[in-house]
Amino acid sequence: MALDLQMPVLVVDDYKTMIRIIRNLLKQLGFEDVDDAADGTEALEKMKQRKYGLVISDWNMEPMTGYELLKQVRADAGLCKTPFIMVTAESKTENVIAAKKAGVNNYIVKPFNAQTLKGKIDAVFSD
Amino acid sequence: MAAIQKENVARLIEFLEESRARKDDVTLNDVMGLAEVMARSMRDYIDAVQPAVTQELMEISGEICRMKQEIAQLRATDIKENRIPEAGRELDAIVEATESATHTIMEAAETIMSADPEDTGTYQVVVQHKIMEIFEACAFQDITGQRISKVVGTLNYIDERVNSFVKRLRMDEYADVPVEETEEERRRRELILHGPQLAGEGVSQEDVDAMLEVFAQDDIDKLFG
Repeated sequence: MALDLQMPVLVVDDYKTMIRIIRNLLKQLGFEDVDDAADGTEALEKMKQRKYGLVISDWNMEPMTGYELLKQVRADAGLCKTPFIMVTAESKTENVIAAKKAGVNNYIVKPFNAQTLKGKIDAVFSD
Repeated sequence: MAAIQKENVARLIEFLEESRARKDDVTLNDVMGLAEVMARSMRDYIDAVQPAVTQELMEISGEICRMKQEIAQLRATDIKENRIPEAGRELDAIVEATESATHTIMEAAETIMSADPEDTGTYQVVVQHKIMEIFEACAFQDITGQRISKVVGTLNYIDERVNSFVKRLRMDEYADVPVEETEEERRRRELILHGPQLAGEGVSQEDVDAMLEVFAQDDIDKLFG
């Protein structure tokens, strides 16, 4: 899968400041089409209406967490191929393993920097 | 044989009528009050038949008095009505201050990002002005630090009172009694919600990268049986 800077990216986080940070970092990396959602439920609705090239999601949100979103995306035949990066403060081994088992493409531990975000996006699209 | 005195029976009836009139839930105070009335009511009767039982009841009565004093020492009303709400207000103020500072800093950074570096003079003015705004916004850390100290003080106060209460009532043996999992706890366990880890806890980005590289899907499936 090739990296396309024109593809729409969906950022999912319940903290507006984090959405703003990721938006700015993505803009610096050349992504122009960035959309956002405040939790898994809103993200899933948006994903059913529009095809996103990448989802960058937090884990700890209500009512639907990023982990639940990931599992629902992977269980949906129309969405299951969407690249999914988890960006979270949940940094226990069991979280990483559970995310990997659920089909996450990459996992970023907060706090992170632009280089890490770029590295993980590059890694996802070079697989 | 001695009988329960009329005045004691009257006191017991009065107590029960008062409790019924209130129509509130039964409190620990009510139970202790009833026990005291009952103990006093029975004292004359039992005194006549068995002095040892009287002694036992005296001790129970004394213990109830001591418990009442310990509960008073806990100052639960002060904790509930003053200290916890005050700590909550401090935490709200911290969230508000950090949000406001973050907003100011991000706005300054976004302005710098969107400024035209070709226009050197204007660019320098914009950058210097916005950097000053960033310095000013960082002053929030001093005030939030003081607010956090107040919240920590409240937590320490509650911790001391509760620990002292548990020790004086010799309730340590109940410390490990299993409690029923709440709905929120169940959700957090099932959705693996631990929240941020402290420094030195959790795994680093390097650890995560290594785990994702090493663990093939088959290996992970094996871990989960």
